[in-house]
Amino acid sequence: MFLFLPVPEIWKTALTSLIGLATLIGIMTRPFRWNEAIIAMAGAAVLLLLGLITPADAFLTLFRDWNTFLFFLGMMGLSALAEAAGLFDWLAVQAARLAGQSAARLFLNVFLLGTLISMVLSNDATALILTPIVYVLVTKLRLPVLPYLFACTFIADTASFLLPVSNPINIIIISRFPLDLLTFLRLLFLPSLVVIGINIGIFFMLYRKQLKGAFDIQRLPSAAQAAKHKAYFRYTCCVLAAVAVAYVIASAIQLPLSLIALSGAVLLLIGGLSWRRTSLRQTASRISWSIFGFIAGMFIVVRAIEDTGLTTVFGNWLIHLSGSTSFGAVMVGTAGAALGTNLINNVPMAVVMVSALGGIQHASPVIQHGFIAATMFGCDLGPNLTTVGSLATVLWLLILRQRNVDVSGLDYFKVGVVVTPLMLFVGALTIWLLL
Amino acid sequence: MRVLCCLDGTNVEQVSKSTEMLLATQSLTLGILYVIDTGPRKDIEHIRERFLRPPGPPRSREYEMQQAEQGAAQDILNEGLRYLLNAETLQRQGRPEREIVNVAAEWQADLVIICPRAEYGGKPVIGPRSVGHVARFVLDHAPCPVLLVRQLAREQFPIAQ
Repeated sequence: MFLFLPVPEIWKTALTSLIGLATLIGIMTRPFRWNEAIIAMAGAAVLLLLGLITPADAFLTLFRDWNTFLFFLGMMGLSALAEAAGLFDWLAVQAARLAGQSAARLFLNVFLLGTLISMVLSNDATALILTPIVYVLVTKLRLPVLPYLFACTFIADTASFLLPVSNPINIIIISRFPLDLLTFLRLLFLPSLVVIGINIGIFFMLYRKQLKGAFDIQRLPSAAQAAKHKAYFRYTCCVLAAVAVAYVIASAIQLPLSLIALSGAVLLLIGGLSWRRTSLRQTASRISWSIFGFIAGMFIVVRAIEDTGLTTVFGNWLIHLSGSTSFGAVMVGTAGAALGTNLINNVPMAVVMVSALGGIQHASPVIQHGFIAATMFGCDLGPNLTTVGSLATVLWLLILRQRNVDVSGLDYFKVGVVVTPLMLFVGALTIWLLL
Repeated sequence: MRVLCCLDGTNVEQVSKSTEMLLATQSLTLGILYVIDTGPRKDIEHIRERFLRPPGPPRSREYEMQQAEQGAAQDILNEGLRYLLNAETLQRQGRPEREIVNVAAEWQADLVIICPRAEYGGKPVIGPRSVGHVARFVLDHAPCPVLLVRQLAREQFPIAQ
């Protein structure tokens, strides 16, 4: 509408900021339990209707980020099809068998398995697929459920910056600021190992009393029960091994990772259809299509804000806060991203940070790398602070608790508050030392 | 006298021993209760929401989770029956603390027997926070007397200043 009316620039900027802010607040508070995707898309639609972003610009923004969309699709497809093959169940049974009836060793194995799955198949696979499997396993073994559940959920994020593919957030950031594999590993691999170590250490300390027992191996399902169709199971293992190698090669030669994820998913789908282990409809139902609407909406909203110059101001403010030092860049980047990710979701926060970092191109390469690595680190690890959702969710849970209503979720927050700030600080410090 | 024994999967021996002193009681009716805790399932739903997914896991996984819960509950109640012959078995699903007090009222229990918390090995815990939130809630809210059954921990005494 404003495309055709002579409206002062200041009004356009104010209105765009207002709509952007309303969208972010909407995502944060989710009025009437609306889906985040609807809120993000509504924000984008209002901006388009008012002419605060042109349809061409919106289309170009989405087209430019095709790698992110396809990666999300490939990643979700890979995980869903690997689940259909029984791979996660099989791995969980093996982790239990290797634990030799010790509850503590099984706890460690859950961490290691979560790390492996997050590294190759992303944190979504660990949090969403491995967690229920571990729940079933420890329920059958009559072990305390919560420590194992927490281990799965926390390690999903803690191990999500071992490789670029370990978290879709990394892809959002790397798509805009390409980092070669060696630089990525140099800056984030060691910090990742450090925070994984801290996570495991603190959890063993917190749950030492509950992990003293042993379990009866007879209660375990057999590995053969987990892998229901042997041929498809073996085929899935081969495809995933090839995908893992291809990820490393593609990262090294800077080939879009979405192509690897998608090719892997297509190969698994072909196998699944030929062996009749899945159907197109079944696979489609395991994919969260609303995520694409959410990301698309967020990309458009942030693009409109970017045009007003506000994100550049935000970027310059970040540089100012960091005192133009590499230490400041890592600390400010980590703290900002981690805090933001707990206020809104980590996907919108990563999009906002990417846009803001576009405004720091005049800074030295060390500071730029510091901010980029810290943004990935903060956005990936930050959600562990309020694992159950955003700070708004936690506040709501606290209010309920005050009203004497017993609520789940607060236990997560208590553990997150203990473990996450320490992991963030030590991890950020390690990144700075490696810059 | 109607006695409700709360099982948690680790305490059947302790609970059954504590009922021995009641055996002389005339018209003793024992009930053994196990509650499937729905808290962890809600946590899994919260996590799915955070990852922008619909709340429930896929149907086949949901079924597996239910099967595992029911299997474990049945196993624990059967174990209870081996110790407390002829006891009435009661199984509920929800938040254990609330379910226990509600069942105590509904079943018209004259006494609730509960352990301070589930013990998974090691020395018995005494001291502050040795009574878990479920037992604490039952002590605070039960509609009848509550017998809190601790493990013997004489070797941990005398308590140092």
